[in-house]
Amino acid sequence: MAQLFSVRIFISVLLLLLPGAAFAGGGHQLPLYPESPFTEGSGLTWISNSMIMVWLAALIIVAFCRVATKKMALIPSGLQNLAEWLVEGLYDFFGNILGEHLVKRTFWFFGATFLLILVVNYLGLIPGVGTMGTTDAHGHFKGLLRGGNADLNMTAAMSITFFLLWLYWSFTEIGVKNFFAHIFAPQGTFTGFMKVGMIVMFFLVGILEVVSIFIRPVALSFRLFGNIYGGEQTLEGLMALVPKYFAFLPALPFYFMELLVGLVQALVFTLLCAVFLKLMCSHSEEH
Amino acid sequence: MISIIAAAGTEAASPGFLETFGVNWPFFIAQLVNFIIVLFVLKKFAFAPIQEMLEQRRKRIAEGEDKLKRIEQQLADSEQRTQEAIDKANADAARLINEAKESASSLTEKKAQEAIASAQAILAKAEEAAKAERKTMTAELKKEFGRLVTATTATVTGKVLNDDDQKRINEEALSSVEG
Repeated sequence: MAQLFSVRIFISVLLLLLPGAAFAGGGHQLPLYPESPFTEGSGLTWISNSMIMVWLAALIIVAFCRVATKKMALIPSGLQNLAEWLVEGLYDFFGNILGEHLVKRTFWFFGATFLLILVVNYLGLIPGVGTMGTTDAHGHFKGLLRGGNADLNMTAAMSITFFLLWLYWSFTEIGVKNFFAHIFAPQGTFTGFMKVGMIVMFFLVGILEVVSIFIRPVALSFRLFGNIYGGEQTLEGLMALVPKYFAFLPALPFYFMELLVGLVQALVFTLLCAVFLKLMCSHSEEH
Repeated sequence: MISIIAAAGTEAASPGFLETFGVNWPFFIAQLVNFIIVLFVLKKFAFAPIQEMLEQRRKRIAEGEDKLKRIEQQLADSEQRTQEAIDKANADAARLINEAKESASSLTEKKAQEAIASAQAILAKAEEAAKAERKTMTAELKKEFGRLVTATTATVTGKVLNDDDQKRINEEALSSVEG
């Protein structure tokens, strides 16, 4: 596994070092930013090509769940079985991290976010996504679709939503006083000079903790965006290295890699969110 | 690519940094609203029915386990009650058999005693009857013997014997016979 990731990083670095080589054969470079596939004046320019992919992913998930739950039976079969296995598996997975009480309260967010990220990541791998589009008179290529998580707006929206929910859940679970005590209050029992020293030290540590709390959504956003954008860029770069009829060949092994990356990144994002929440809410249990 | 990263790096501290990644208010707000709507849609239409079913199944399993425990308890109670009933029946049966044995024994004894008493009574009656008969026969024999002695005496002596003579002769004859 580690070797596969190393190969991916090596290829990415290679493509970075040889910027002219990868895209010289007529292939286009995936831009860092999303674009609206709609023309100016249509009133729909607020819709980005990545947003369409998110809608599509949500539609697929909802459609799957609706079909799976159309004729619910106590003894499941077919799609219901699959859907229940998926939901129950995720519930137990997050339950092991968050505990029974918290997972009951927050599963809707973690489950939905995991599935959405996963499906969006996989939809981004469908051939045509990022490569189908129009080229304007100035030769500027505008993609019709774009991987949903290859858009920092989307990953930031998810991170900031989690950040706000994290604040709400933390305040309601442990209270505002305990929330700040968890960040700034000295841990342990000290007396005399040590007590004063520890108060100052933990206050300074608390400031660092506050900084780290505010960095979390940024890190979450850029981690997911970077991995997905990097993967798509790698695939496009590899395809551009060879004549177009054989373009699929160098990218093929990396498609499997990206399938794995898509799953891992969905897992990492939601897992970290769950851990952040648990770290704060476990305060009341410890004390 | 290098140029993009370089540009991103140099612009990191400037307001244009986020623009490099295409982050702008309209797209960001649209994605934020989009994500929140998607979350609620998935919560309502994707997770709710499945979780409801899972919860329903969990409840049924829990109920089934409770019922199983109750049934096991009832079975254990029933087995205990059955065993107690069997034990009680065995004890009753043993007591009845003992009582029957005792009763039969006393009845046999009673009947035997009755039979013995009855036999003794019969024997006593028979003895009394035999005694009475013997007495009657002795009296008749004495009477006949007296008459014969009197008749013989009258014939031999040729005199008519009065009652006193007859009585005396009879008594003398009887005393000599009995003597």
